[in-house]
Amino acid sequence: PSVWFMLFHVPAAAVHGSRNFHFSIYGKKKNAQISTQYPVVDHEFDAVVVGAGGAGLRAAFGLSEAGFNTACITKLFPTRSHTVAAQGGINAALGNMEEDDWRWHFYDTVKGSDWLGDQDAIHYMTEQAPAAVVELENFGMPFSRTEDGKIYQRAFGGQSLKYGKGGQAHRCCCVADRTGHSLLHTLYGRSLRYDTSYFVEYFALDLLMENGECKGVIALCMEDGSIHRFRAQNTVIATGGYGRTFFSCTSAHTSTGDGNAMVTRAGLPCQDLEFVQFHPTGIYGAGCLITEGCRGEGGILINSEGERFMERYAPNAKDLASRDVVSRSMTIEIREGRGVGPDKDHVYLQLHHLPPQQLATRLPGISETAMIFAGVDVTKEPIPVLPTVHYNMGGVPTNYKGQVITYTDGADKVVPGLYACGEAACASVHGANRLGANSLLDLVVFGRACALTIAEEHKPGEKLSPLKPTAGEESVANLDKLRFANGSLRTSEVRLNMQKTMQAHAAVFRTGSVLKEGCDKMDAIYQTMDDLKTFDRGIVWNTDLVETLELQNLMLNAVQTIHSAEQRKESRGAHAREDFKDRVDEFDYSKPLQGQEKKPFDQHWRKHTMSYVDPKTGKVTLEYRPVIDHSLDEQDCARVPPAIRSY
Amino acid sequence: MSLLRFSASVSRRLLWKSAAGESVSTGCSRAASGAVSDKEPLKKAKTPQGRFDLPEEKSKDVLEKFPDDVNPVTKEKGGPRGPEPTRYGDWERKGRCVDF
Repeated sequence: PSVWFMLFHVPAAAVHGSRNFHFSIYGKKKNAQISTQYPVVDHEFDAVVVGAGGAGLRAAFGLSEAGFNTACITKLFPTRSHTVAAQGGINAALGNMEEDDWRWHFYDTVKGSDWLGDQDAIHYMTEQAPAAVVELENFGMPFSRTEDGKIYQRAFGGQSLKYGKGGQAHRCCCVADRTGHSLLHTLYGRSLRYDTSYFVEYFALDLLMENGECKGVIALCMEDGSIHRFRAQNTVIATGGYGRTFFSCTSAHTSTGDGNAMVTRAGLPCQDLEFVQFHPTGIYGAGCLITEGCRGEGGILINSEGERFMERYAPNAKDLASRDVVSRSMTIEIREGRGVGPDKDHVYLQLHHLPPQQLATRLPGISETAMIFAGVDVTKEPIPVLPTVHYNMGGVPTNYKGQVITYTDGADKVVPGLYACGEAACASVHGANRLGANSLLDLVVFGRACALTIAEEHKPGEKLSPLKPTAGEESVANLDKLRFANGSLRTSEVRLNMQKTMQAHAAVFRTGSVLKEGCDKMDAIYQTMDDLKTFDRGIVWNTDLVETLELQNLMLNAVQTIHSAEQRKESRGAHAREDFKDRVDEFDYSKPLQGQEKKPFDQHWRKHTMSYVDPKTGKVTLEYRPVIDHSLDEQDCARVPPAIRSY
Repeated sequence: MSLLRFSASVSRRLLWKSAAGESVSTGCSRAASGAVSDKEPLKKAKTPQGRFDLPEEKSKDVLEKFPDDVNPVTKEKGGPRGPEPTRYGDWERKGRCVDF
């Protein structure tokens, strides 16, 4: 890769303001101002991967294995990516516990997605699943084993046999209780075998787009404040989800949807962002989820009046009602003013009425968890909980090969040079609702798919198309503007406003008036982004600047999420509305199809939302794209026609 | 000087309380009385170095490892410790739900 310096101006500094320390570099004058010139370093690679989680690492070393000169840009060290927190298992139809067929897994996933998943992508994922898991095992991932030495599989995540008619399937493979951690470390170790260039702690600012083609990425090196442009024929986005738009989420502080925002700023759409997976009982403040087993063992949810409010919402099932009913009931209680705490924004999960011995034997470790994350003694006080975001089904739209697509003139059009995989992408295998243990599978299968597609269509060492010498200027201008921002609101204040608004208006309880109010509030908060104030004027490890850049990314994701949710007038999967409780498909699948007239495309909702944002004004434009209903090979694996989803 | 010694013995008592678990009372009395009975083996002085000679209490994890790492009921080798994580429909560990 060739490296040349476009601008070179030594930053010497006296920092004025509260910190008041002076330092000089290379003997320059002590009172010289901080430089506002940005040294830019250019790199050339065959492929660039943004993000080094499960999907990013798999794509990066898949490309290196195929001989491509690959760079992997990541804002975190690879083993610190959020994949490490995935402790559940990974689904694959290996057939070790009973006879199994990947077509049954295909059926379960299509049904779980509430028929919003693209069946060709789901076909690809479930067919590749056994090979992917065996490949991971060959890389050294220590799956748990049966007595015969085969990989042990357990029942989990809505999996069935014989297209739902054969009972529970055992498909979930795991590594003790740290599958994601082990996956990430295995992939990282494996990737070191190949000569991928890692650029760790580089914050990717924007894509370098020219004539609708992606020609690389521009990034900020956090360590020394230099700007780096990575020119490449192929760019893969694997930046993860955007849980941090909500006040309560299980994601790391670094899950800020950077990839989605980069794509939005490039004028490309994001798909299905309104589908966000919630869990009813997440610990207030910490974001860890409390298992449903607590309620199964007799725990109850109480509001500020000490009332067991679930009795009113689900008189029979009470606290054991399904997750979405519990989440909505909790949210309604909070909205009506019966929440607890100083802000009255959560409820309590009470376990101290149960005998402590029972808690210790049935739920070992819960007292430890409650003490560490909530600071309560579970045998004396209730745990503060509220509905918490866990996963984002939506993201950058791709086809089953991992290529990013737009929908223009009634057809899917591939964006040349751009690919996406992992939680950042929306292939869409999870559709309206993700099944448990399918996410880790999604990472490895589509990470590999991106690498294979690139290897198929391009050769290592291909000449790069020319790029304007001023490419990336706007990103640097934006960076400069934020670095010297001198408004009145701190980044943390605006972020908290956004998170509270999203939690109150775009969370589990969605209804027309609430969403509309939320949209207006979010638009207003988006406008306050012009009034930000940052404090650190330096460029070396400026976390204030990076957090503000992340806030810009979060805001783009948040406005798209809430506007898409407001427009979608039906309930499907994770998007449940009080005013439109039913699914609106092209036919009414609860009745026989004979004699029914097919609704036109603009009158039903079995379609993907494609959202665009104008970054300057924050205006969201929505378009729709049909769901792909055919599988990759109708002879091998017949499509699953839509039906009513009931378990 | 005596105040120092008092506070030192108090802090030692607190330290012993947290480290020694069930053997708190004996530890306390030994520190408080200062007398070493003849039945006890000869111990080093209660200097930091001396403290490290005590048999270390293994921190008891609430989820115990299975013998040979094989789950006796399901015969799974290398699986999750403690009760079956999926028993409540979600993946549970130490009261936390990690997947659902």
